[in-house]
Amino acid sequence: MNNAIVIKALKKEYKDFTMNVTAIVPKGFATALIGANGAGKTTLIDTLCRVTAKTSGDAVFFENSSLPEYMQAEKTGYCSSVNYFPLSWNLQTVSKCMSIGFDNFSKERFDALCKKFEIGSSYGKRQKKLIKMSDGNRVRVALAAVLARDTDLLVLDEPASSLDPLARDMLCDMFRDYLSERDGERSILFSTHNIADMESVTDYAIFMAGGIVIEQGFVEDLKNKYVLVHTDSGKAEKLKPLMTSYTENATSFEGLALAGNISISDNNMIMTERPTLQQLSVGLLRKAGHNE
Amino acid sequence: MKILQNSSDPIYKQISSQLRDDILSGRIKGGEALPSIRSLARDLKISVITTMKAYEELTTEGLIVSAQGKGYFVNSLDSRLIAEQHQRRVEESLSDAIHSAKIAGITLSDMHETLDTLWKLDS
Repeated sequence: MNNAIVIKALKKEYKDFTMNVTAIVPKGFATALIGANGAGKTTLIDTLCRVTAKTSGDAVFFENSSLPEYMQAEKTGYCSSVNYFPLSWNLQTVSKCMSIGFDNFSKERFDALCKKFEIGSSYGKRQKKLIKMSDGNRVRVALAAVLARDTDLLVLDEPASSLDPLARDMLCDMFRDYLSERDGERSILFSTHNIADMESVTDYAIFMAGGIVIEQGFVEDLKNKYVLVHTDSGKAEKLKPLMTSYTENATSFEGLALAGNISISDNNMIMTERPTLQQLSVGLLRKAGHNE
Repeated sequence: MKILQNSSDPIYKQISSQLRDDILSGRIKGGEALPSIRSLARDLKISVITTMKAYEELTTEGLIVSAQGKGYFVNSLDSRLIAEQHQRRVEESLSDAIHSAKIAGITLSDMHETLDTLWKLDS
C-alpha cells in the first residue's frame, strides 16, 4: 500500500523545543494527529506544509506517484487552525484571491460550499468581513476555501475545535464524502483535541508527546493491541507493572495495558474491554505525561 | 443496515454479522457487488477502517472476495460451504446454551426437553 505522506526523521528545532517525527499518513484514509497542548502537532503540520522550514529530515508526499513536485502543493489542501485569511477580507475577496493563487480553485464550488455551511454567498454586493464573523464561521470559510480546490490530500490543523456539535457532525460527513468521492485516492491528515467527536471518521492515528511520535497505527489494530482494564482498588498491586498507565482511587482501579500483558484467566477479578479511541488517547497521553 | 454506536459489539462485528446473515440466507446473491468500503463508511457514518475490517473478516471466511481495483463481491458459494457455515453457527449457539445450563445446574435431559419444546413452539 502506498502512503499519502512518508515522514522520515523530520526535525524542527526551536530554542526551547525540538520536534523529531517519523511516521506515515496512509493513502485513502483519514489520519488523526493526537496529542496534548505543546506536543508538536501544529509544528509538524506547519513543517509538512512548509509554513516553517524544517531543520533536517524529509517528508515524501504522494509516495510512488508520478506527480511532479510543483503539483504536489497544488494537490494538497492546507488549512491552519486560526486566521487562515486576513480578517479584513470577505467571501468575495477570499474567492478572488484563492482563484489567483490556485489553478484548481473553483469559484462555483466555493459559493456552493458557503451556502451549504450557511455563511452567505461569495457573489453579490452585501459582503460581511471575516472580522464580523464568529470563530466557527471563520473556520467554515477556511474549510470551504480549501474544499473548493481539486485536491487529493487535506492537511487540516484543528478543523473541529471551534465548531458546534452539528457542524462537527457535518465536518465528519464532509471527510467521508471527500474520501469516497475518489475511492482510495484521497487522504486526510488532521489534528484534533475532540477525539470522541472525530472517532467515527478516524482510520489511522498518530499520537504525539514532547515533539515525538509515541504510538501510531490503524485504529482497529490499536484497539486490539491495547485493552482497558478495570478492577477493585487494592487488588491491583500485581497489575501495576503491566499497565501502560492507570488511575486509582479508594473504590476502583482503571487503566490501559497492552492486551498481551493481561491474561484474564489468571484473575477473574479483572474486567477488560476494548478501548474507544478517546480512552486509548487518554491512556497513551497519560503515560507520556508521567514520563516527562 | 443498522449500526448501534454504543453496543458492546464492535461496529465492524455488527456489519460483518449482518452481511453474513444476508449472504447465507441468499438475500445477497453470489457474484453481487458490495458497496465500496468508503461509500459504505459514508452511508453508515463510520470510519473507513471499520468497514474495511468487516470486509476483511468476511473475506477470511470465504464469503466475499476482493477483486483488485474493482471492490468486493459475494463469493459464489457452493452448497457444502453454506451448510458448513450454518452448522458452525448452530454449534456456537448451542455451546452458549450449554455454558448457561451448566452455570444454572440444568441437566442434559432437561436441555433436550427445553430444545424439543422450543422447536415445537417455533414451528
